[in-house]
Amino acid sequence: MGLPDSSQDLSTEMEVDAFRRIFPLRFFERHLSESLRPDARPLGKARDTIVNPGLVSTADGSALAKIGSTTMLAAIRMEVMTPSTDSPDEGCIALEFHMPPICSPTVRPGRPADAAPVISKRLTDTILSSGMIDLKELCLVSGKAAWMGYLDIYCLNADGALFDAALLSAVAAFSNLEIPVVALNDNGRIVAISGGKDEDNASIIEKKAVNKEKRKLTLKNIPFSLTCILHKNYILADPTTEEESIMDTLVTVVLDASDQLVSLYKSGGTVLAYSSAVKSCVELARKRAKELKQILGEMDID
Amino acid sequence: MEYVNPEGLRLDGRRFNEMRQIVAEVGVVSKADGSAVFEMGNTKVIAAVYGPREIQNKSLQKKNDHALVLCEYSMAQFSTGDRRRQKFDRRSTELSLVIRQTMEACILTELLPHSQIDIFLQVLQADGGTRSACINAATLALADAGIPMRDLAVSCSAGYLNSTPLLDLNYVEDSAGGTDVTVGILPKLDKVTLLQMDAKLPMETFETVFALASEGCKAIAERIREVLQENTKQLEYRRAA
Repeated sequence: MGLPDSSQDLSTEMEVDAFRRIFPLRFFERHLSESLRPDARPLGKARDTIVNPGLVSTADGSALAKIGSTTMLAAIRMEVMTPSTDSPDEGCIALEFHMPPICSPTVRPGRPADAAPVISKRLTDTILSSGMIDLKELCLVSGKAAWMGYLDIYCLNADGALFDAALLSAVAAFSNLEIPVVALNDNGRIVAISGGKDEDNASIIEKKAVNKEKRKLTLKNIPFSLTCILHKNYILADPTTEEESIMDTLVTVVLDASDQLVSLYKSGGTVLAYSSAVKSCVELARKRAKELKQILGEMDID
Repeated sequence: MEYVNPEGLRLDGRRFNEMRQIVAEVGVVSKADGSAVFEMGNTKVIAAVYGPREIQNKSLQKKNDHALVLCEYSMAQFSTGDRRRQKFDRRSTELSLVIRQTMEACILTELLPHSQIDIFLQVLQADGGTRSACINAATLALADAGIPMRDLAVSCSAGYLNSTPLLDLNYVEDSAGGTDVTVGILPKLDKVTLLQMDAKLPMETFETVFALASEGCKAIAERIREVLQENTKQLEYRRAA
């Protein structure tokens, strides 16, 4: 336990807010014993999730995802590049996760947050290994030109479950993405066609538009994730920053739409998990994947 | 290229003395002590204020009996037409300094000694006038954080194209090669805190453009006051409930 029993005596006299600050673990355990959390959520329930596509007009695809207060803004810009010689038919995705100082009081300017490059890498690995995007769809002219998609995710408010929100915003941004129309000009170079209002441009589009039909990516095997905290015998789904700072054992499960396991992540922590705990996390993730799938489905219809 | 057509309409259909549409909201970042979103047309900026809090880098503290004000301006990679390569270029550093000094002039730093006030600005979309949008957003965020200020700092830009002074330039008008005057004022005290101008301009024309920008600032100040009053009403309502 670690804490002496003095807290037992003080708890009846102290104000709730003070008790929460001074004895955070006991405060949470009081709630956990009733199978609840301070914000009245049951242990396995995630916070309210909202996804808003198409917010950034300067980007080719964008989305804002909010899980509770955690807010992520993802935007994709496409640029043409020469594909590498070992994969001449494939494009490329470059993902970067930023945590600007506005998102949290712990991020100092000039010093990138510790969590940012870790989440960056995990996101890249998850998205590429889930097979959501077929890189061959990003090819324009085999061996000569292909799309490079720069996905930038900005955390605007960090309140726990950063990976989940970032993944959701990335997936939503890809589904919102509209690849710009391009044509091959006389020098063999790819040029962008801007809206096609000019008469010259219109004729180019008719004759040489390389990808007039293929403007949206087909997304298969969309990954959905859920982060859980393990504490003694309890499993808390979708933690807030306060919960993450007190209890340090986090498990992230990523499933795809067909209930296949894409990735599992538990990087240490004081609690050692039995396989039964891991199975429970996967079960919670399965339910969450259904919720998220419905939310994304509603977003696409708009 | 014609930026003002013979009927007096600009490229986006505005008249010479019309500002772009303003959308302002406070309390958007729950983790921050004060925050605001400020949009001027397509330019969108988020400001977050953390403070007053303990000074994190004692070596930066110059005056012991005044609060330390730090400001960081950064643009998102997707905010401009081309994806930006470097996160912190010279322009961001210059703007951070300019905005810090503007806000420092209006915060009552002597009331908060031995503390630090952090102002973070994130540009999500840039379409001209980011400097002004940042100052306006910072003012709202500081008010939301409850930091004492002598007045609201508001800012607006104006330019001169096709022999017409134009209020609130967007990116296309700004890059036309004409002049761009950015003015920051404290409206109640009627004092100028920020004044930046580039390109050449005759003196009389400058005075017209400057007056136009000041008018724009006063209109923004009205809007900011309305937003803050509405916010206070909401807080009162919630507290009573």
